[in-house]
Amino acid sequence: MILVIAEQRGGKLNRATWETVAGAQQLAGVTNAPIAILVPGASAGTVAGELASAQVKEVVTVESPALEPYTPDGFTAAFAAAIEQLSPAHVVLPHTYQTRDFAPKLAARLDRALVTDVTAVKSVAGDAAFVRPMFQGKLTADVVPQGAGPHFVTFQIGAYRVDQAAKGAAAAPIRALTVNVDAAAIREKPEAPFQQAKQAVDLSQAERIVSVGRGIKEQANIEVAQKLAAALGAEIAASRPICDAGWLPMERQVGSSGQTVAPKLYLALGISGAIQHLVGMKGSNTVVAINKDPDAPIFEIADYGIVGDLFEIVPAIIEAVKG
Amino acid sequence: MQTLAFWILFLAGVGAFAAQVATRVRLIAAAPNTFSTTDLPFRINRFLVDVVLQRQTIRERPAAGLMHAFVFWGFVAFAGYTSVEFLRGLGVVDLTHTSWFEAYRLALVPFASAVLLGIVYLLIRRAFVRPIALGPKVSLESVVIALFIATLMTTFLLTFRLEEDTTAERVNWWTHMLVILAFMALIPASKHFHLVLSPITVFLKSPELGNLPNLDFEKEQVGLETVKDLGSKMRLDAFTCVECGRCQVNCPAWGAGKELNPKAIILQTQDALLAGTIDTKLGEVYSEKVLWQCTTCGACENQCPVGIEHLPILIGSRRGLVSNGEAPEYLGAMYLNLERRSNIWGLGYDQRTKFVQAAQLEIFDPVKHDVLVWLGCAGSFDADFQKSLRSLFSILRAKQVKFGVLAKERCNGDPAKRTGNEYMFQELANGNIEDLKTAGVKKIVTSCPHCVKTIGADYAKFGYRVEITHSSVFVEELLRSEPSLAAARDTVTFHDPCYLGRYAGKTDEPRALLTRFGAEIREPVRNRDNPYCCGAGGGLLFADKEEEPGSRISDVRFKQLQDTGAGTVVTACPFCSIMLKGAQASAGAETQFVDLMTFVDGRLQPRA
Repeated sequence: MILVIAEQRGGKLNRATWETVAGAQQLAGVTNAPIAILVPGASAGTVAGELASAQVKEVVTVESPALEPYTPDGFTAAFAAAIEQLSPAHVVLPHTYQTRDFAPKLAARLDRALVTDVTAVKSVAGDAAFVRPMFQGKLTADVVPQGAGPHFVTFQIGAYRVDQAAKGAAAAPIRALTVNVDAAAIREKPEAPFQQAKQAVDLSQAERIVSVGRGIKEQANIEVAQKLAAALGAEIAASRPICDAGWLPMERQVGSSGQTVAPKLYLALGISGAIQHLVGMKGSNTVVAINKDPDAPIFEIADYGIVGDLFEIVPAIIEAVKG
Repeated sequence: MQTLAFWILFLAGVGAFAAQVATRVRLIAAAPNTFSTTDLPFRINRFLVDVVLQRQTIRERPAAGLMHAFVFWGFVAFAGYTSVEFLRGLGVVDLTHTSWFEAYRLALVPFASAVLLGIVYLLIRRAFVRPIALGPKVSLESVVIALFIATLMTTFLLTFRLEEDTTAERVNWWTHMLVILAFMALIPASKHFHLVLSPITVFLKSPELGNLPNLDFEKEQVGLETVKDLGSKMRLDAFTCVECGRCQVNCPAWGAGKELNPKAIILQTQDALLAGTIDTKLGEVYSEKVLWQCTTCGACENQCPVGIEHLPILIGSRRGLVSNGEAPEYLGAMYLNLERRSNIWGLGYDQRTKFVQAAQLEIFDPVKHDVLVWLGCAGSFDADFQKSLRSLFSILRAKQVKFGVLAKERCNGDPAKRTGNEYMFQELANGNIEDLKTAGVKKIVTSCPHCVKTIGADYAKFGYRVEITHSSVFVEELLRSEPSLAAARDTVTFHDPCYLGRYAGKTDEPRALLTRFGAEIREPVRNRDNPYCCGAGGGLLFADKEEEPGSRISDVRFKQLQDTGAGTVVTACPFCSIMLKGAQASAGAETQFVDLMTFVDGRLQPRA
């Protein structure tokens, strides 16, 4: 059996769980094992109902006071007990901060292998092999965990898409599992979760960004970029001078002193590419730059560069995207 | 009877002086010893020029400075006269009727006239003209002292008019002597104490601008945390301050409307020492916010006429804050980049390797190469500054200079050093020193003035000495035999980088290159060895608002450069270039920027 451990807080499911379900389904394609999803926490019910729509054998809830609020001791104890009852071959989790906190402890408690930050599952000589990046992504390794099961696997966020998770014909059955956790064994006394000063716009999560620089010339022209952003379903961002001038709010500034972004697509319109801006968007998957100056430093890091007038090019792109 | 009365008043005056001096001496003696007398010839020369000839006082304020020099030289000239009159008054010996004394008195007349002229000028300036540097209020004490000095000179000159032993003569003599005694009682607690301390302070000032000895972690040194950590030279500085405000008016942070005022830092030090609150945190004495507004441009320290060193206090206090984890957020991100990737941007070194390959650079080999070109963080990663480096390489190749680069560099550590992260600085420095030694490097050329200062002066404190030259100096010498372009074709302005013009004192070389290759230079306000900072130094490159309030320093400097009317700004430092281009973009101005090496290379090529 493949056991997916879901992550939720206050009845709200972490979307990365669906990505992990997709990963588990790929793993099931190799091992032909059935999948069960374990939902921990005080209010697991609603989340379990949501996950039951997945193409899985069953959804198991573990409701225990030891699981609320989150503590690494409580989770480790509860999951160790659940795993003993369910005896899965693989335990898979989303590679979230919370997972990073307790999963190594859990694997060490059971003395089992843990493969982290996995991006894909392969079959190597009939065994499931897990693909994970090494040396800051310069190489990838196919890892086949050795020794007795269960083997623990965490999936990199974004390695699978939420919509890749196959839905079942009918809702999967939900059952409750009882585990006993000694509350006295929980050593941590967590405080209320720290909430970072909420930024009205969180560009770091954006998949596509249209970013404007000085080349936009005047405030009225921002509209051109906004139309492109709307057509692409992208967030709008800017370099420092634009936010300085108040043409876009400060919270949309990208760069060493603004937000650091890593979208799949970064479209730089009229941005020269001062290094302070570049360090804020260097993690972008694909950078497309439009600038009339062929010597602009932005072209040094752009995957696609268009030398020309953005006021001619952008409308053409909008046209192409719509058509 | 008169002798007895004089004895009593003499002991009161001298006693008051001595008691106040003793308090200050005790405070200095209790401090960790930071006095140094290395490089004696330099110190003696500076003493002669800056104390005896008053260069530093006159340089920035020629009129007021010259008047001050008159008063100073007069004081020195009068030392013998005052001693003789005291000996007479105390009944020890009367030398006033010797023929040499008569001659001496006559010789003093021009001095007395000059002092009188000087002090009246300075009194009017202080009480009526009131320059901003002297503070918002007219200091009553200064007015009193000025009147004292005027009285001393007047009473001296009157001695030529009054018959000896007349009542008028006696009153005149007593007035003269009592003013001197009152003066003695007044000065230790006032800024006029500088006339006793400043010769010592100037002599003890480090020959190196911004001298920051390494912290010794073995001895658990963590920088300055509380008042008691302030070193002996820092305390001497605090008591020497003459409150002239040169540091203040030259400070770019103050000039941009920020809270930092270097003069206030020194006076707050003095107050804290005299208050005896030795356990007060320096972050409270100065306010933490103010300590992070310093760009370490060095203007305060370099312009001070009485030998005060501001940077060891400012950066020393930053060290104390960083050791306690109290650095601003924007520095935390930069430190993480240095820690993980050994460069300020946090970029991967494969990008530097790509540039090294694309620019067809050779890896340094002492057999094959004469010089090492140090790329620096900007040269390794900033595509914009790499254009400047390509120009430098093109010039070096055209003149058959054999050069190579290191296979790998770390940041030289300047941003860590200047922001007080000494531990990180030493890690980076030791790594680089190791690599430079292994590579057998003897001579380095770099286009980054911060690298010049750090690798040249700060690495020397680890016992590592290497010749390091800024590209402008190296190339100027290299191209000295080039025929100069006949007529000026470009009107440009040149922005002196603080770490080149002020720290390294290299101001002629970039200008020689510019004029040789056809530029007419329009000088901005604040140039040469006293430039106005671009706002990048001291870690402020990473503070978007250069840490508020007021304007950005870069915006102020950009405006100054724009005001020259030259449409082209020539820069010679990657960080100045980043800051000023940012200011230009924010201002939406059309000003062109050219790097010095690119300017030269562009005009050299056609004739090669």
